[in-house]
Amino acid sequence: MEPQLSWYLALSAILFTIGVTGVIIKRNIIAMFMCIELMLNAVNLTFVAFASFFQDVTGQLFVFIVMTVAAAEAAVGLGIIIAIFRNRETLDVDEASILKL
Amino acid sequence: MLALLFILFAGLGIGCALAVVAQRNPLYSAISLIGVFISLACLYVMLAAPFIAAVQVIVYAGAIMVLVVFVIMLLNVEQEERGRTRLKFLVPTAVALAAILIAEVAFVLVSVQEFRVTPTNAASDIGVTHSIGSQLFTRYLLPFEITSILLLMAIVGAMTLARRGGLLPANARVIPGAQQLALSPDDLTLVETNSTDEAARLLGVDHRDESA
Repeated sequence: MEPQLSWYLALSAILFTIGVTGVIIKRNIIAMFMCIELMLNAVNLTFVAFASFFQDVTGQLFVFIVMTVAAAEAAVGLGIIIAIFRNRETLDVDEASILKL
Repeated sequence: MLALLFILFAGLGIGCALAVVAQRNPLYSAISLIGVFISLACLYVMLAAPFIAAVQVIVYAGAIMVLVVFVIMLLNVEQEERGRTRLKFLVPTAVALAAILIAEVAFVLVSVQEFRVTPTNAASDIGVTHSIGSQLFTRYLLPFEITSILLLMAIVGAMTLARRGGLLPANARVIPGAQQLALSPDDLTLVETNSTDEAARLLGVDHRDESA
């Protein structure tokens, strides 16, 4: 039995849900960051599954662009994390509820 | 056979994803996340997308996770403390919402079974580097260029954010209790001191008079 398109979509939704749950329940800002990466990857799986099942390369191009955005997000996000840690000596997001550094 | 492989990699991915959320040490979360990326790369190979699979391993599991692990080690984060959150009600809420969403997914999975798209991945050039490259540089050239601008902005932004504060202002002579001081307005050589007394001695002033 071949894997169907719906299998991939279900797996993607499950991974995305786990990522959302992590963003909500985690307090460490780096762990939240990694959960966001997990959500991005779930969406990427959807793109690749559709591209493969509908024989259209556009989905894979968008995955490529999403990966670039994720790399940019990693660079800027980790810079922000380092700045927060330098000013507050903690990575707890509840401690960083004021936008002022 | 392919279904078995799908179940294997999907189970590995879901298990590693749960471990990302369940671990309290961020380093263990990062290693579990690498497991998710690897299993997703295997699924991409099954979906006849070898280029995306390679980029997934190189960029995600390689570059981005190295950056994350580097920051975790740089900041020397200890484990999360348990039970100090003010938003305790969010935890059951999150679990309930996740259960609802997974139930919806299961419903869709059952009800959509008759919608069958047969993959014809036998002799297809979708997903090889040649087809991706030719589309990327012809039809999707504008998104590609916008991506390059985005990367440039990310580089500048990361440098600006992670930079320490600038040089001392020109009129600064001594900062009481600081670790660095400027010898004179003309000579901005930074000298490291351990105490205000030593700073005052280097500058030739009596800081007790200034504070009086």
